[in-house]
Amino acid sequence: MMNPKFKNVFIRVLRRWVFIFLGLEILAFSLLGTNFLSLDTLQNILVSSTTVLLLAVGETFVIITGGIDLSVGFMVGFTGVVCAKVMVTLQAAGTTQAMAIAVGIAAALVVGLLPGFINGVLVAHLKVPPFIATFGMYGIAYGCAEIICNNVPIHDLPSAVGPIGHGFLFFWVPGKLFRTFVEPSGLSSIDLKHLVSLVPNLFLITVVFTLIFGFILARTRFGRHTYAIGGSIDAAERAGIDVKRHLVKVYMISSFFASLAGVGYVLRYITGRAPAGSAQVLDAVVAVVIGGASLYGGKGSILGTFVGAMVLATLVLGLANLALPTYYAYIAVGCILIIAVLIDQFSPELVHKED
Amino acid sequence: MVIMSAAGEVRSRRVLARVGRSWALLALLLMLLVFSLAGKEFLSLANYSNILLASVTLFLLAAGETFVVVSGGIDLSIGFVMGLVCVTSAIVMRDLNAAGASQLICVSAGATVGLVLSLIPGAINGLLITRFRVPPFIATLGMWGIANGLAWLFSGGLPIAFLPSAVHKIGRAYVGYYSTKAGFSFAPPQLTTREDILSVVKIIPVPVLIVAICLVVLGFVLARTRFGRHTYAIGGKMDAAVRAGIDVRRHLLKVYVLSSFCAGCAGVILVFLSNAGSLTQFTSNYELLSIASVVIGGASLTGGRGSIWGTVTGVLLIGTLNNGLMMMGLQIFYRFIAIGIILIGAVLIDRSFPELLYED
Amino acid sequence: MKRWMMVVMSVVLVMAVGFGLVAKPFVIAFMPGIADPFYFTMEKGAKAMAAQLGPDKVQLIVGQYPATWGPDAQVPLLDALMARGDIDLLFTAPTSTQALIPVLKKYHDRGIPIITVDTYLGDGDYTKASDYSFPLSYIGTDNKLGGEVVAAQLAVLLGGTGKVFLENTNPDTSSVMDRERGFRQGLLGFPQMELVGVEYCLDNQETAQAQVANALQLHDDLAGVFGVNVFSAQGAHAAVAAAGLSGVVKVGTWDATATLIEALKNGEVDFILAQKPGEMGSLCVQWGYEYLASGKTLSVPRKIVPGFFVFTKDNVNSPDSQQYIYSK
Repeated sequence: MMNPKFKNVFIRVLRRWVFIFLGLEILAFSLLGTNFLSLDTLQNILVSSTTVLLLAVGETFVIITGGIDLSVGFMVGFTGVVCAKVMVTLQAAGTTQAMAIAVGIAAALVVGLLPGFINGVLVAHLKVPPFIATFGMYGIAYGCAEIICNNVPIHDLPSAVGPIGHGFLFFWVPGKLFRTFVEPSGLSSIDLKHLVSLVPNLFLITVVFTLIFGFILARTRFGRHTYAIGGSIDAAERAGIDVKRHLVKVYMISSFFASLAGVGYVLRYITGRAPAGSAQVLDAVVAVVIGGASLYGGKGSILGTFVGAMVLATLVLGLANLALPTYYAYIAVGCILIIAVLIDQFSPELVHKED
Repeated sequence: MVIMSAAGEVRSRRVLARVGRSWALLALLLMLLVFSLAGKEFLSLANYSNILLASVTLFLLAAGETFVVVSGGIDLSIGFVMGLVCVTSAIVMRDLNAAGASQLICVSAGATVGLVLSLIPGAINGLLITRFRVPPFIATLGMWGIANGLAWLFSGGLPIAFLPSAVHKIGRAYVGYYSTKAGFSFAPPQLTTREDILSVVKIIPVPVLIVAICLVVLGFVLARTRFGRHTYAIGGKMDAAVRAGIDVRRHLLKVYVLSSFCAGCAGVILVFLSNAGSLTQFTSNYELLSIASVVIGGASLTGGRGSIWGTVTGVLLIGTLNNGLMMMGLQIFYRFIAIGIILIGAVLIDRSFPELLYED
Repeated sequence: MKRWMMVVMSVVLVMAVGFGLVAKPFVIAFMPGIADPFYFTMEKGAKAMAAQLGPDKVQLIVGQYPATWGPDAQVPLLDALMARGDIDLLFTAPTSTQALIPVLKKYHDRGIPIITVDTYLGDGDYTKASDYSFPLSYIGTDNKLGGEVVAAQLAVLLGGTGKVFLENTNPDTSSVMDRERGFRQGLLGFPQMELVGVEYCLDNQETAQAQVANALQLHDDLAGVFGVNVFSAQGAHAAVAAAGLSGVVKVGTWDATATLIEALKNGEVDFILAQKPGEMGSLCVQWGYEYLASGKTLSVPRKIVPGFFVFTKDNVNSPDSQQYIYSK
């Protein structure tokens, strides 16, 4: 007989149709695609979902409170540019690579909190509608980013950046080597063919933060307050929650994740580019909504968001694997999105209705 | 000192309130003032025409979006529906033109096909949202992708050229022309020297006139008809609307079809304006700009509030900002920052003076 | 009886393939830079060459077109394409001179030759020792030179004097920024000409039209406009035509799409600088095939620049020019 705790988890997982949908997707692409079910492809999905996933995690908090944060798209670019610029400047000034990289990352994360703070104050204290506040911040972030980098992508970052961004946790040549973090050099081409790289660094970083904040949302008082505010601001205030302070923190979380995404961008693409991430905002919100959130607030979860982001990334890369003419991909994504949600409607026993 | 009667005071307060409630309008007037002083060529009929011409498609898109937002929903597909219709109408016009049909037939057939086509995405959106309870965000986002894919499929990703000559004649036409040389006429005067051409006073671009008429009609529908009242009701409280006997499902379906139809109108007008059929690019952000215009105009994303008039001021605000800042010589990215700050600032002003702006 | 024959034939076929008597075609992959007419025309040229060589020799697989310009859009699609595992050679337009280096190097190290087309890695010089010297070749446009050509052409039309305006599209796209640099450089040779403004329409044609209209409003005596690619050019000539100034204000454009060709014929555009994307795509397939067929020993030129074709009203209708019009 199954361990009852395991069975509970199993049923809870099954009840979220997103998981089933993800499974169906992987199955379909394995059958239709070329070599889809390979370590390469699966890890590509994990890495390429980084930006969207990070943005989506931050966005989950905001959406649960009934708001929306449109500024995160260009904040990725803004913090990325800041990060890159600091790294390049420090490197030119002669500091060690480790120092330049660490300070660059720290600078980006710290700078990234400011727009979030401003958003939060505008929305919570000054009662500006979240759409307008974050839309205005979006323009401001883009303008600032372009001005900082003077319209030219920032290049010539410290050489250690690339290996971090493209690195993996484990490098394994069966029977021969097993390394962590540092890519083995000087391998013969036969060894190179057998090299198995596991767990991309970027994904590792993403998962760590996702787990931390997932825990915060699901298990701490902070998380409960977030849901409460999303349910009804008045009720939350009557229950004694300092709604204004809480909302400011929520928007700061969102921009923190945007700066994480900015750092991730710099690590992976070894450049600071202002428009980075601009196309990913919509995807992030879609991931959150597929994961079970409602744009009116009060519902959603980090786990759902995570799976939602995976569903999207799998869809995009699966279609790319098929090498269809591009317009079919656009149509397919649109249709599949809708079908995904329709499945929700037609399978009541599988649907997990949040309270 | 004139002592106003109590009634007079209340009346003038009401007018002030109505004006002030539309903080966007105040901001717009202020902006016009500032730009006229700061930028030299701002204060001219030609420039105002340019501002309106540049915003023509956004007016239509935002007007359609107003209905959706007032009803408590959202429509993200409008940008790509516009692109799909633009491309399709252009293809029909081009092919009929190549087959030798008369100008009138080419243009009207193309426009008709485009407009009829635009009803379909709206219908699908509406059905998904009302009958299958798909969240509007997802349904319209799905349609966004599908419309885009179809636009690519039809056009092959290339802009459509060789449209009938009537297209650019209408798209670039003005209602009237006045020049010192040729007097007043309805047709563009044929002049050759630069000074002569620049001296012509051009009165009201035809596309702007067409859009203005559409906006008046839409504004009337939203504010004064039962259809409009029902839209507000549904956006306000859906249960109350149901209890009041409104067939919410059918109504919402119509609302999304209307939004899509407006996007279709925008697409057809775009063919005339640019004398080509072109796709909407991903970086265009028409959806965001439309929704922003609607919200600036006083709507709330939860529904029940908003107006066409407000949306028009929202679109004008964005368009005037873009134009005025450029005329002042501000570089593009400083403009982004300026627009962001001004938008937020304007809303803040609204929040800071509630007693001035709201009656009772 | 028949079944028996089929079995024998299948066995023979399998053995033939196994022994290479029926050779497997080489699989060449193309990863474009962005979805626009330039790259569609490149795909067309590549497909034509592949068909000419024969499906038994070359199979062309085209990756999904990125929706926006940048490594964040291109790299996931590139990785997905390459993860198929059946690719023998890749030609691509890298959307970042640095970000794509480790990505493409990874595939190079797996034994897949790389050709960069239209854009390049690093500084484009693959002959000197660097971490981007691994691509087989750079087949592409010299955008900077093109910008200078446009400046010179505009100068001819304007008699070497006058104010000009540049309608650019996206400051983050290296190709159009190179064109801007080339244009500015070229203008230096004509001291009587002045660049009065540069605007960016961010790939939106309506915005381009509005910006050029504003420029015409600001500068009564504007003499020439350069639209750097399809969107900016379409908006630019539409604005000039709407103001009634076609012919008075000279319009120079880049990228020969059907809309710009029509405008040229109507006199709304004065010249078009066309790149040769079809030829580039064709060359990639041709060199790629020959390199693979030679057992990867063939010496391929490290830089091939097919050059430009300038359309003017005089040559737009001649039969020889038609091949340079962008089409699918």
